[in-house]
Amino acid sequence: MRIGMPHMGNVYIPFKALFRRLNVDFVLPPVSNRRTLSLGVRYSPEGLCLPFKLTLGNLIEAAELGADTLLMPSGYGICRLGYYASTQEQILHDMGYDNVEVVKVDFSEHKLSGLLKIIKRLSNNAPWTRIIPAFRIGLAKLKTLDKMERLVQKVRPVELVKGTANKLYAKAIKAIDEAEDSKALKKIEKAYINQFNQVAKDPQAQPLIVGIVGEFYVLLEPFSSLDVESELGKLGVEVRRRLFLSDWTKFTLFLNSLGINETARIHKAALPYLKRDIGGDGWESVGEKVLHAKEYDGLIHLAPFTCMPEIVARNIMPSTKENIPVLTILCDEQITKTGMLTRLEAFVDLLERKRRVRHNS
Amino acid sequence: MIRVGIPRALLYYQYYPMWKVFFEELGAEVVVSPPTTQNMLSEGSSRVVADTCLAVKVFLGHVLSLVEECDCIFIPAVRSVKRKAYSCSKLLGLPDMTRAVIPESPPILEIDIDVNKGKPALYRAIYRLGRHFTWNPFEVRRAGIAAWRANLDYQQLMCKQGLMPPEAIEKIAGTPQVKPETHTDYPAPTRATIAIIGHSYFLYDEHISYRLIHRLKRAQNRVLTPEMLTTDELESATARLVGKAQWTCDHEVVGAGGHYLNSKADGVIGLMTFGCGPDSLLMDTLHRQANRSKTTPFMSLTLEEHTAEAGVITRLEAFLDMIERRKRRQVAVCV
Repeated sequence: MRIGMPHMGNVYIPFKALFRRLNVDFVLPPVSNRRTLSLGVRYSPEGLCLPFKLTLGNLIEAAELGADTLLMPSGYGICRLGYYASTQEQILHDMGYDNVEVVKVDFSEHKLSGLLKIIKRLSNNAPWTRIIPAFRIGLAKLKTLDKMERLVQKVRPVELVKGTANKLYAKAIKAIDEAEDSKALKKIEKAYINQFNQVAKDPQAQPLIVGIVGEFYVLLEPFSSLDVESELGKLGVEVRRRLFLSDWTKFTLFLNSLGINETARIHKAALPYLKRDIGGDGWESVGEKVLHAKEYDGLIHLAPFTCMPEIVARNIMPSTKENIPVLTILCDEQITKTGMLTRLEAFVDLLERKRRVRHNS
Repeated sequence: MIRVGIPRALLYYQYYPMWKVFFEELGAEVVVSPPTTQNMLSEGSSRVVADTCLAVKVFLGHVLSLVEECDCIFIPAVRSVKRKAYSCSKLLGLPDMTRAVIPESPPILEIDIDVNKGKPALYRAIYRLGRHFTWNPFEVRRAGIAAWRANLDYQQLMCKQGLMPPEAIEKIAGTPQVKPETHTDYPAPTRATIAIIGHSYFLYDEHISYRLIHRLKRAQNRVLTPEMLTTDELESATARLVGKAQWTCDHEVVGAGGHYLNSKADGVIGLMTFGCGPDSLLMDTLHRQANRSKTTPFMSLTLEEHTAEAGVITRLEAFLDMIERRKRRQVAVCV
C-alpha cells in the first residue's frame, strides 16, 4: 500500500511528518503546477470547480508515482465535495489505474476520533502510543507554518527590498519540513521570527488593509489564485485572512465539540442578509463583508468558478448596508496572471484614492 | 383576502398542489405566475451574477412577474426532505437571494424545511408559516393535513397513471395547462421509447426545454420521465450507481437515469443546464455508466440562455435517427 494525497498549500508537510513517523509508504506528487492543472482539466467533467480539477490532477500525478491509496477529503454537506472522492476514483479507473482506491477522509461526523481511525487504518494498525505523538508533531508543524505565514503577510507590504520576505518564508517552510522533533521546531520558529523582524522595512509605509474572504481551497492553495496574497504584498497591501488551517483544525477537531464556535460571530453578522447555512463558505463570505466593512479598506473575494455557495454569496453581497469595495476573483483554468494583476492594480488605486479622500475630508 | 404568489418555477412542479391546498385552506388566494417567456428569462438574468444557474434566473423572472400581482410571495428554503440528503445551495439560499436581488418584491413568506431536525421542528416551521394567516394552531394543522393529502394524490396520479406534472396539476388543482391542445392530438407512439431525465423544472418548462417532450411525442415516440417511477425503483438505481444519496435531486437524475439505462427504453436523454452544480457531477456519472454498460444509447443536452432551438432539434433528430437505425439492425440480426 502506497499512500498519496492532493496538495493544498503547505498541508503536505504535517502529513509527511505524520506518515514518516508511522513508517507508512508515502509519495508526494509534485506541487500543483501547469501540468497538474491541464491533467485535471482534461479528465474532469467541464462544469466542476477548480478544487476538483486540481486535486484530480494531484491524484493522477500521485498514481503515476505508484500510489494506490489516495486520500481525499470528503464529508456530508451541501457542497459537491461529498461526491468528489468517488467520482475521482471512477475517473482514475477509467483512465486505467484499476487498482487505485480513493479513501474518503471524512471527519464531518466523528471529528477527531474519525480522523484518528483513518490514520490507524492507513498506518496498518500501528499502536496508539505511536500514532498520538506522530499526530501531535503534525499539528505542531501546522501551527508553526501558519505562524510563519502570518508573519510574511505582515512583512511583505512594508519590506524595502521586494521579495525578501518571500525568500525567507520559503526557507522557513523548508526548515519546518525538515525539523525532526518539536524541540527543533521551536528553535526554528524562534530563529525565523527573529529574522522576519530584522528584515529592512520602510518606516513610513502605511499599507492599505485588504481582507481576503471566500472559499476554503482557493484561499489556502496559492497556485489556484495565482498567489494573489503575494501579488498584493508587492503592491504594498497588507492582507488579512481569517482562515488558517491550524485554527480550523483546532476548532473542528477539538473546540467545536465543546460548544465553542469561532464562526458564530460571523454568522450573526450575516443574519440580516442570509439567514441560513448554504453550505461551503457562503455564509462566512457574507458575514465577513458585514463584519469587516468598517475595519478594512477593501475585500478580495476568491471563489472557484461554478462554486454553488459562493454564487449565492456573490448575489447577496452587493445588497448589504455595510459598504466596502469588493473585488471578486473567480478562479478557474482560464485565469491569467496579467489579467489578474491589472484588476488588482486598478482595485488598489481605487482604495488609495478612497483613503486620500477620507483623510482630506 | 391575501393573495399569495407562487412562481411557476423550480419546486413548483413537485409541490404546487400541496402549497395551493395549504394556502387556500387558510383562506388565502393563490396566484401563479404565467408560463416562462423569453422576457422573464432576460429580466431574471439581469439581476444576478452571470454564472448563476439557468433555473434560478428563470425563477427570479417569475418572481418579477408577480411583483405587482400579489401581497406576498411564497419562497420556501427546502434544505432537506430526506435524512442526510440535502438540496443544492441555490435552493437553500433562495429566499435570501431573492430578497437581495429583487428589493421591490412584496414580503416573502419563507419556511425552512429540514427533516434532519426532526418532526417537532418541521411542525413548528409549518405553524410559523400558517401564523401569517391565522393564530389558531388547529386550523394550521387541518390545512397541513389537507395539503399533505393533496401531495400524496398528486404523486399517485403521476406514478400510477403515468401523467406528467403539468397534466396532473391540471387534474388536481384545475390550473389550466400551458397549451391544452398539444397533448390530445399526438399520433400513436409506434417508433421508440425514449426516457428523458432531468429536474422537473427543466423538463416541463416548455420555454427552457424547447418543448422537448412535445417534439418527441409528435415524432411518434413514447416518452418516459422520472416521475413515472416508484420511490423503490429510484432508490435501488441510485444505490447501484452512487451508493448513498447525498442530494435530494439524486433520484430524479441518477436514480431515474440508472433505471432507464437498464430498462426497455430505446434511448435516454439527459437534460441539464449549464452551471447546475449537482448535475455537473450526476450527469457525468450517468455518462460513464452508459459508456461502460453500452446497452442503451445516452445523450446529454446542456441548455443555457444562448442555446439555439435549431441546435437542439438537430441533435434530437440525429439521436432519434441513430436509435431507429440501431433498432433496424437488431431486427435484422434476429431474423
